[in-house]
Amino acid sequence: MPNGATFADAYPTQARHIRAAFWASFLSLGVGAFFGLIQALHRTDILRVIESQTYYTVLTAHGVFLVISFTIFFLVGVFQWAVTDSLERPPVDMRFTWGWYGLMSLGASLTAFAILAGFTDSIDVRANVLFTFYAPLQAHPLFYVGLVVFVVGTWLAGADWFRSWLAWKGDNPGERIPLPTFMVLTTMIMWYISSIGVAVAILAFILPWSLELTGSLNPTLTRTLFWYFGHPVVYFWLLPAYLLWYILLPKLAGGRLFSDPLARVVFILFVLLSTPVGIHHQYLDPGISEGFKFIAMTNTMFLLLPSLLTAFTIIASMEHGARQRGGEGYFNWLTALPWRDPAFTGMALAGMVFAFGGFTGIVNAGMNINYLVHNTLWVPGHIHTQVGTAAALTFMAGAYWLVPQLTGNRLVGRGLALVQVVLWFVGIVFMTNSMYRGGLVGIPRRTAEPQYEGFEYEVAAGSVGELNAQLAIGGTILFVSAMLFLALMVLTAFNGGTEPIDDGSIPPALSGPEDSPAVLDNLKLWVAIAAVLVVIAYSFPLASIVSRGGLFGPDIGPIPVAIDAASTVARTALEAVSAVVR
Amino acid sequence: MRIHQYERVWLLASMVLIVGFIATITYGAVGLGITMVDDRGATIAPDEINEDERFGDPRVEQVGDDEYEVYAVAMTFAFQPDPIEIPADSEVTFYVTSRDVIHSFYVVGTNTNTMVIPGEISVVTVEFDEPGEYGLICTEYCGAAHHEMEGQLAVLEDEEFDLTELEVEAPDEVEPDGEIEITATVTNGQLEAIEETVTVELGDETLEESVTVEGDESESVTLTVDAADLGEGDHDWTASAGDLTESGTVSVVEGSEDDTEGGDDA
Amino acid sequence: MRLRTSPAKLLVLVALCLVVLVELRTALAFVGVSLSIGATVAVGVAAIAALLLWAVRPAGSGE
Repeated sequence: MPNGATFADAYPTQARHIRAAFWASFLSLGVGAFFGLIQALHRTDILRVIESQTYYTVLTAHGVFLVISFTIFFLVGVFQWAVTDSLERPPVDMRFTWGWYGLMSLGASLTAFAILAGFTDSIDVRANVLFTFYAPLQAHPLFYVGLVVFVVGTWLAGADWFRSWLAWKGDNPGERIPLPTFMVLTTMIMWYISSIGVAVAILAFILPWSLELTGSLNPTLTRTLFWYFGHPVVYFWLLPAYLLWYILLPKLAGGRLFSDPLARVVFILFVLLSTPVGIHHQYLDPGISEGFKFIAMTNTMFLLLPSLLTAFTIIASMEHGARQRGGEGYFNWLTALPWRDPAFTGMALAGMVFAFGGFTGIVNAGMNINYLVHNTLWVPGHIHTQVGTAAALTFMAGAYWLVPQLTGNRLVGRGLALVQVVLWFVGIVFMTNSMYRGGLVGIPRRTAEPQYEGFEYEVAAGSVGELNAQLAIGGTILFVSAMLFLALMVLTAFNGGTEPIDDGSIPPALSGPEDSPAVLDNLKLWVAIAAVLVVIAYSFPLASIVSRGGLFGPDIGPIPVAIDAASTVARTALEAVSAVVR
Repeated sequence: MRIHQYERVWLLASMVLIVGFIATITYGAVGLGITMVDDRGATIAPDEINEDERFGDPRVEQVGDDEYEVYAVAMTFAFQPDPIEIPADSEVTFYVTSRDVIHSFYVVGTNTNTMVIPGEISVVTVEFDEPGEYGLICTEYCGAAHHEMEGQLAVLEDEEFDLTELEVEAPDEVEPDGEIEITATVTNGQLEAIEETVTVELGDETLEESVTVEGDESESVTLTVDAADLGEGDHDWTASAGDLTESGTVSVVEGSEDDTEGGDDA
Repeated sequence: MRLRTSPAKLLVLVALCLVVLVELRTALAFVGVSLSIGATVAVGVAAIAALLLWAVRPAGSGE
């Protein structure tokens, strides 16, 4: 890319495609954030604008829009940028690239329709099954079909990036994979390995059952397959943020990445360890022996390693940048960082919250301590510090740098953008602090009305009312912050005739790939080891679950949240399709 | 591979931290004996629950000195039995299964917490040393009225706790020339024998008798009264044993069928 | 008026103040010191006011 040129100048077609992915992502963010606000006010009984049973439609939409649609559309945008920029070549065939984007959009739309139809009685479609869709709760088949189509879209996106890399490799034999592309490829390997779980759960069991092709299923099996996918998916949300921290943050701080080799090691550790840990979400499940839970626990603890290494590299890179900018002293260099840059400040604050969320995650991972917090409000506290901040705030901060590169327009409202990221930081701490404390006294998650008749929560310090107020204030601040972000993005998109402040170039790492053994780039080797680990961690539990409950369960029929799904046209069409497939 | 000195130190410290976490959790499991919910419970299909010896009649049962078992069923949107009464300072094992979807069984503010999955039986053994009323809730979304799924767990002082039941058999209607027989049966669900004073009253007649009920046995006391002594009309009866009381009415009427039906035992 | 630090850094510092306050209150509750809402707000207002005063005070006037 010529010096000083933006990405949009160098790759106009690709920039248009990435912008499309970002708009899908931002639209989801807006809708999801709105539902989040309704929930924060409803469950604290501060303002109830919906019926309590509708809360679960809102909650399903909040989960799916934010953790599936917002995060993954942003991911494909960032990854497409990273691959194109670091390989310095566009995709092999742009029609294919638009094709997977189309599939993802179609899938997301089908699922969104199935969920949102829950708000009206005039359409006979329901999917109030939450983001985890545990059977035997049953959604309308469209919900599952949409998810499958969406995931297939992401698989093809991965194939597209591997194809670009292979083409690049042909032109550059013997060269090390550029770091951003390396990160994209390893993340996608993790995604392929892990999404098999949810694909099998839906295609083999839940979808046929929702179409009444099979009469029963084994809820422990589908739940285990979901969590086989459900933990790696959190890294799928997080790794684009890691990519931005490794690639963009050092540059924004005024320096260069500290170590390229260690960054590669970190991503390989994620490929190896993020899947064989899913059972830690099932510590309190019957039907799974303690031994399997113990294995998942130790694997989970080792999964701390790549995050701890990342903390080191990021802070070291920031310090390097600060010293390049004239920072001095043990701690005084902190003041030399570019705090007025919202992209930098947002990422730095996100990293700080992430560290905090990491420690609450260790509590979740400690299997015997998990009894105290399992399914309490503590858990959404944790998830909001992680995907809701480490990922979401990093994405928003990243967008302040990336969107100008992708549009060729200057960011509108740099000062407001700084206020926006700071608001998010304050809002999330208010909200999650209340959630953590509420969880510790036993307030449950995922409920419209945590106010019960038979007992009172015993709050150690303060009162439930105070916790509720704090949660609602935090949630409201977050909503305002999200809306501010979206407004700035829209204004920037229309800010024609300007140029970005920064150029799009990424400086090389201090310690480059030549300092690491070439084996790190041997992707086949890592796939093989990851597969072995997955087989070790999952073959025995799955065999045990199937032998206990049967592949299709002990006659467990559907409990539909969909009302009389049989009458819809969509369903008839689906049955026709499935009949052909059979 | 070239790794900076500081990175090595950090790497080492990280590994120490991780191994330390694993060690503390292992100590909790092995040293303190905090076991996880696991696969020790058998499987049971939801449609077998009604015929099942344990879950067909959800209840609390004594199985040893200071050892109790609770057979509980979760369903949309309630728990059975409700309330659950258990003694303090005893080892209580909960066996919980679901009739329909995935639920959870969480005693609020404690570490009595397990998922409840249809087809599986969750087994949790706990000991409550604080008597009191605890909230029992489902923390896994289970449908539109999930937030209404609530039960009670009453942890009673040892002396307040019993598994004694009183059942009364009395006729509803009797001919004026017939006999009225009221039978009070005391069942002792616990293992140790109990002494109870059983009182049955009907009209002016009172029968008071002390009975010793062996563990897992029952004893009956019967009061017999000639209907003619009472005269036509409705007559109230009460039967009591300890703090348990049952009451009902018997009618002496011409031309009634002499059917003996169980009293309305609560 | 000249600030002793940039407005951006001041904003981040104020945010940090709020966050530390919320978390510190929780941490103190764990060791048995419970601050009431009023006291927390008072401490917060005082801390932020001190920070702002420090920022707007002309450099060197305190020496």
